Amino acid sequence: MKSIKIFTIVLSCIFLGSCKKWVDYNPREDFKITDQEYLRSEKDYRAMAVGCYSPLTWLNQLVLIGDVITDNSVTGGESASDQLALQQIDNFTFTSVNSTIADQWQSAYEGINRVNYLTQYKDLNLAGENITFPGKDALYGETYFLRAYYYFTLVKMFGDVPLFVDRRLGVTETNSLTRSPKAEVYTQIQKDLTDAIAVLPIVQTEQGRATKSAAQALLGKVYLYQGKNTEAAAMLENVINKFSLVPNFASIFLQSGENGPESVFEIQYSNGQATYDWGHPTRNQGNLVVQQSGVRGFSGINGMPYASGWSTNLPTSNLAGIYAAGDQRKDVTIFNVEAYKLANPGFNIVYLVAPYRNTGFYSGKYQPRVGESSGQIELNYGNNFRTIRYADVLLMAAEAYNKSGNDIKAQTYVNLVRRRAFGNTNNDITSTGNTLGDAIFAERRRELAMEGEYFFDLVRTGKAAVALASLGFISGKHELFPIPLADVNGGLTQNPGY
Amino acid sequence: MNLKISMLCLGILLGTFFLNKAFGQNITVNGSVINKQTGNPVIGASVNLQGTTISTSTDATGNFTISVPKGGKITITSINYSPETLQINKEESVTVLLQETTTSLDEVIVIGYGTRKITKVSAAISTVKSADIQRLSPVRIEQAIQGSASGVSVIQSGTPGSKPTLFIRGIPGLGSSPSVIVDGIPQTLDDLNSINAADIESVSVLKDAAGTAIYGVKGGNGVIVITTKSGRKNQPTEFVFNSSYGIQQVIRKMPLLNAAEYGAILNEGSTLSGGNIIFPNLSTLGKGTDWQDEVFRNAPEQNYNISARGGSDKLTYFLGGGYLSQAGIVGGYNKSRFDRMNFTTNVNYSLTKKLKFLLNASYHNLSTRGVPSDAFNGVLGNALNFDPTVSKYNTVPNTIGEFGFSNLITQEIQNPLTQLSNTYNENKGNKFYGKFEFQYDVLKNLKFTTRFGYTKYDANSKTFNPLQFLGPNNIDPNNTLNADGTVKPNRHNSVSHDNYKNLNYTYEAFANYDFKVFKNHRFETVVGIALGKESGNQQGVSRDDVPFNSWEYADYNAATGVNSIIIVNGQPQVYTAIRGYYFQYFKKNASGFFRINYDYNDKYLASFSGRRDGSTRFGADKRFGNFYAGSLGWVASKENFFKSKFINFLKIRGSYGVTGSDEAVNTNYAALSTIQTDYLASLYGTGNTIGYTFGNVFANGATLGTYANPLLGWESNTQANAGFEMNFHKNKFNISADYYYKKTKDLLFTTNLSSYLGSIPSPVTNIGTTNTSGIDISLVYNETIGKDLKLNSTLTFTTVKGKVTSTGASGAIPGGNFFNGQSQNTTLFAPGYAPGVYFGYRTDGLFQTQAEIDALTYVDVNGNTQKTYPTAAPGDIRYKDLNGDNILDSKDQEVIGSPFPKFTSGLSVNLNYKNFDLSVFAYASYGNDVVRAFERNNNFTNKYSRILERWTGPGTTNDAKNPRYSFTDPNNNARFSDRYVEDASFLKIKNILLGYTLPFKAVKKTFKTVRIYAQVKNAFVFTKYDGFDPEIGGNGLLNTGVDRGAYPLARSYAVGLEIKF
Repeated sequence: MKSIKIFTIVLSCIFLGSCKKWVDYNPREDFKITDQEYLRSEKDYRAMAVGCYSPLTWLNQLVLIGDVITDNSVTGGESASDQLALQQIDNFTFTSVNSTIADQWQSAYEGINRVNYLTQYKDLNLAGENITFPGKDALYGETYFLRAYYYFTLVKMFGDVPLFVDRRLGVTETNSLTRSPKAEVYTQIQKDLTDAIAVLPIVQTEQGRATKSAAQALLGKVYLYQGKNTEAAAMLENVINKFSLVPNFASIFLQSGENGPESVFEIQYSNGQATYDWGHPTRNQGNLVVQQSGVRGFSGINGMPYASGWSTNLPTSNLAGIYAAGDQRKDVTIFNVEAYKLANPGFNIVYLVAPYRNTGFYSGKYQPRVGESSGQIELNYGNNFRTIRYADVLLMAAEAYNKSGNDIKAQTYVNLVRRRAFGNTNNDITSTGNTLGDAIFAERRRELAMEGEYFFDLVRTGKAAVALASLGFISGKHELFPIPLADVNGGLTQNPGY
Repeated sequence: MNLKISMLCLGILLGTFFLNKAFGQNITVNGSVINKQTGNPVIGASVNLQGTTISTSTDATGNFTISVPKGGKITITSINYSPETLQINKEESVTVLLQETTTSLDEVIVIGYGTRKITKVSAAISTVKSADIQRLSPVRIEQAIQGSASGVSVIQSGTPGSKPTLFIRGIPGLGSSPSVIVDGIPQTLDDLNSINAADIESVSVLKDAAGTAIYGVKGGNGVIVITTKSGRKNQPTEFVFNSSYGIQQVIRKMPLLNAAEYGAILNEGSTLSGGNIIFPNLSTLGKGTDWQDEVFRNAPEQNYNISARGGSDKLTYFLGGGYLSQAGIVGGYNKSRFDRMNFTTNVNYSLTKKLKFLLNASYHNLSTRGVPSDAFNGVLGNALNFDPTVSKYNTVPNTIGEFGFSNLITQEIQNPLTQLSNTYNENKGNKFYGKFEFQYDVLKNLKFTTRFGYTKYDANSKTFNPLQFLGPNNIDPNNTLNADGTVKPNRHNSVSHDNYKNLNYTYEAFANYDFKVFKNHRFETVVGIALGKESGNQQGVSRDDVPFNSWEYADYNAATGVNSIIIVNGQPQVYTAIRGYYFQYFKKNASGFFRINYDYNDKYLASFSGRRDGSTRFGADKRFGNFYAGSLGWVASKENFFKSKFINFLKIRGSYGVTGSDEAVNTNYAALSTIQTDYLASLYGTGNTIGYTFGNVFANGATLGTYANPLLGWESNTQANAGFEMNFHKNKFNISADYYYKKTKDLLFTTNLSSYLGSIPSPVTNIGTTNTSGIDISLVYNETIGKDLKLNSTLTFTTVKGKVTSTGASGAIPGGNFFNGQSQNTTLFAPGYAPGVYFGYRTDGLFQTQAEIDALTYVDVNGNTQKTYPTAAPGDIRYKDLNGDNILDSKDQEVIGSPFPKFTSGLSVNLNYKNFDLSVFAYASYGNDVVRAFERNNNFTNKYSRILERWTGPGTTNDAKNPRYSFTDPNNNARFSDRYVEDASFLKIKNILLGYTLPFKAVKKTFKTVRIYAQVKNAFVFTKYDGFDPEIGGNGLLNTGVDRGAYPLARSYAVGLEIKF
């Protein structure tokens, strides 16, 4: 009996020894690269920098928000219950559970965290090595530009936001942060852009990468949002004459006009990846807004260029009314489908009247066109957002000069924009002071309508309460969007009124 | 050593031989074995000469003949009878009266790595036996556990063959479920679709730590131990044939608007929001189409089983074969079904006197077809939401499409018949499982067992997405045909094939040693090790352009799509017609375990067990965990001082121990920080995409894909149990009752992270603790009334009370998504609340006048007076201002219901009268709520008929479930509130079965018994819930009870035939 006992014990021990080995694990067995093994070469750093750009494309709904919430456009769709998150934004009934607002917040923070990860391992990677390569500083300049862009998106939507720049947050930091004052966030944005300007090249070989001018233009905008008009004017001046306005306004928004001479910064979408994920329709390589903006059931023959869409973000007659006769921007910005049909009988056009809040108008700048998508057609329109156009720079500079007392320059710049719009000098603005200021503001609306700027321009200039009161805007509340509920439950303070 | 054993074996063999020889003179005994109560012959009873292997069994008339030495003792045994022994002194005819056992005192039950006499068990175990399972003829065995095993909660689903939600003793784990052990081999709840209920001997549910600790990390959520049938020594082969055929139908429909009502409501909703009249002429609408009637079909269910069991001296066997086919009531046999064919061989062969070989081998062929369900755009969701004014068949000239379409509903919701007709899929799988086991009797009481258990499952599934026409105005991406039948530009049909391969195996080696110290101190011990690996891979391809847009040609090679560069509108474009993917996984476990059972004279019981487990699923520092449990029992009725005529048996027991779970961790690298470099992987699933296009050049990109969590470790359950078992009133009653208290620590859960962390998917983490307590009671009553009437009844009662005590830094974890236009959470896992409670606003009636709305104001931070309801109108819902600040915000949410019942109870009553048998099984669940989440709440979707009682003016109603109806909802009446929560307590008569055994004489020539029966499953449902079915499971704890159009259980009418020969 004793021998049996010993036998059993020995046997168990032998097996227990091998047991330990049995559950040893190497991540390579799952073909996984761990963080320890990455950022070991230039290629790794460059790939991660690409990753920092991706969330830019996720922020596409912000372009809708900026107009739908104002009287520039209405949400439309199938009915009052279609795309409720946008309808609520349209109607000022949105709350902290609005999924579209929460998605902008999360997308911007993903971008920030991706940049922060690179910042964290800039000098030493996880293995303790210092990887140097030519162009590393310039590459980091791009990432600082992106972080500034993300924080700027946050600060203009939400005001005070959690601020961190030294590291990617880890799981233990969930629910641990508080909101930093808006001013501190702006200080960081300025620092990032200043750092970026110092190292970024004027021209990038690859289109769509951040350039020195893009950073300067964005910094000018950031100053303008803070009312730092002198700094804004000075900064924007750096960009003046580096770009030019194309004579044909419509050509800017064609596929052939992408990354053109007027383009200071564009968020790049593509149809090159014929992939799609309905689980995350805003996070494909394609631009969902284009599909949303299309006319329902739109089809024709003989090469009718437009494709159909979902009749969302319909410009209002109110917006149509702000353009003077002869302004070439009107028909580009506001696509009148019935007029188009009548003007092109050869196409045999059919379309469905927008089922909800039909205005007859569609966002012409980002219309879906046949052949510009691939794979799952709805999700793969390659239209870039013309995020910072030279016209925007000129108008910002005009505004900054006007506000800092240089009306001559202000007039010059705003009139450049107007001359392009009308194709002549007959419509030049000659006013000064506040009248000029108002004229520049009105010009911004006309020039940039349906590009997601108007609401934020109204808010930063204090005009929102008056302009939007009839739509349900509550002063003291709707200047800012609500912090997503989950993060409020996690300890962040909520904006007033939500 | 080997030599020694061989010698020993030889010795014993020779000894037996001499023993036989020594008796010499034999005498022949003819006997008959009769049931003492009924006087009927007992067929197949085993007659064994004591001390030898000589035995025989009774024939179809209960007679036997055996040759025995003078003075030899024979023992007659049969299942469900008390054994009898008699001494044979002369050649004679004997009649043996066998007493049917009305108590279960002699039973043994299977526990981890051994068996134990039930009276000696000091753990909390519920057992369901073969006969009870058979009566329910379940598709899946869980259906037989529901209400029959106390302490187990089962929420069934109506999808044929689908896994129900099952919890043992509450809801401790968020991502974990009980372990399943089939004949010693670990399987999972998913595998229970492939065990033929007819092959099962018994199911034991191990509930407390004393039972489960020996399973260590697999024991944390309870263990279901299934023992399949095996043969019996020296028995003639008994064949059993069983068949049943039934028709299933929907139990009830949901009350919805008919076409005229729908038209009127839409007109009202539109005009109230400033829009036009939608249906100018309501009188033409009539009743319209009832889409529920259209999608529900009568569905057949059939089941055939044949088995043979028996054995010789050395070999025992059970062979079983079966075919089961259950069609679904949603869409019928062609679209929704579960087919299973199985062959089972359980063989037990004595290679030598000491060495036994056990082979269990099962083959299952599984075939399923499914329809989309449990979502508003599933078939039922579409039936509930689709436009009732649309005619069933398409009557619009010059449009293709068999079924009608809506010009109002142009997205998301579609004609459910169109959806059904365009749903094509099949999944065919083959599963092999079983074990090779050797048992070696080293010494009389020392047995060494080594076994290899495996489950191999391979499946192929195919899905065909046809080109389809959903209506000329429909903007759904799947609306790929024009009204004239031409294909829209760049749209294709496609076929996808997916291939799954899984292999799980376990190697175990253990030794059982039983010994006595002094006279009455008995020990049963076991020590052993186990190594396990689960692995699998999945791959798939899909290809566009299936010929003839037909399911018959839906095949990769028949499809014609090719990857190409196509020129569209002058632009070159990549067109990918062929797509594919692949992934694989594995997991390994290693464990050592032991158990010591002790009893003193069957009176004082003690048990101690432990296990050390290692898993690849955890961080290097947390790879191993230790689990243990101890239990004590006292059979008070064995005491000399215990003198009760009323109580026949009384055992008091208690246990305490720790078990674990690793199930919620689904990758080996969950503890590691990994880099994501594949654009496609980043796109599908997580949405944490990488990649960017510079100009026209796509760059793949990289980012951090998962978070590091080196501290990721076991989820542990500490459980204390106290209970008793008692037989009383002549052993006619048996009661078993337990109270338990369970504390779950380091709960594994995928939490929601702060969104400022970005969009890396949330990792599984050890987040917190929960407490669960409850009572399990099971009461059995057996009675024979008069000569012929026998009654057997079981009542179970189960309560579970859970509370989350901490979620660490994760705070409140929301879940249970409900999309009614806006995406909302319905459930919450948060400290201070029961797990998975419904959390939302509490309604407080309706505003009757604008003055009531205007009266509610507060002063904001800027000193301005603000309205609490700035956008409300009379008829909108007023919500309770829980914190009294006059601001309606998220702080005004509270618990508004729970998906989990306060108690559940099952009652089975089985009556036998002469040749008739009647069984009724009822199941009740009290206090469970359901969230009505099947309403899409789109302007044009159909509505619940309750809307007819909506608010239409001051004083019309103050019921917050019936606010005014307008197309716009500025007050957000659709926010998640108790408006959507319904009391779903229910009482179901789950089974009524009436059987008749044909009189013996008529069939005795050929058969032992022939029985016919008729059965109604899910006969009656009593509930206040208006939905299809108050039993709403869900994918995981936080989705339980959220009714998104769940597949309801069907009522079935069946007839069956059972033959033994």
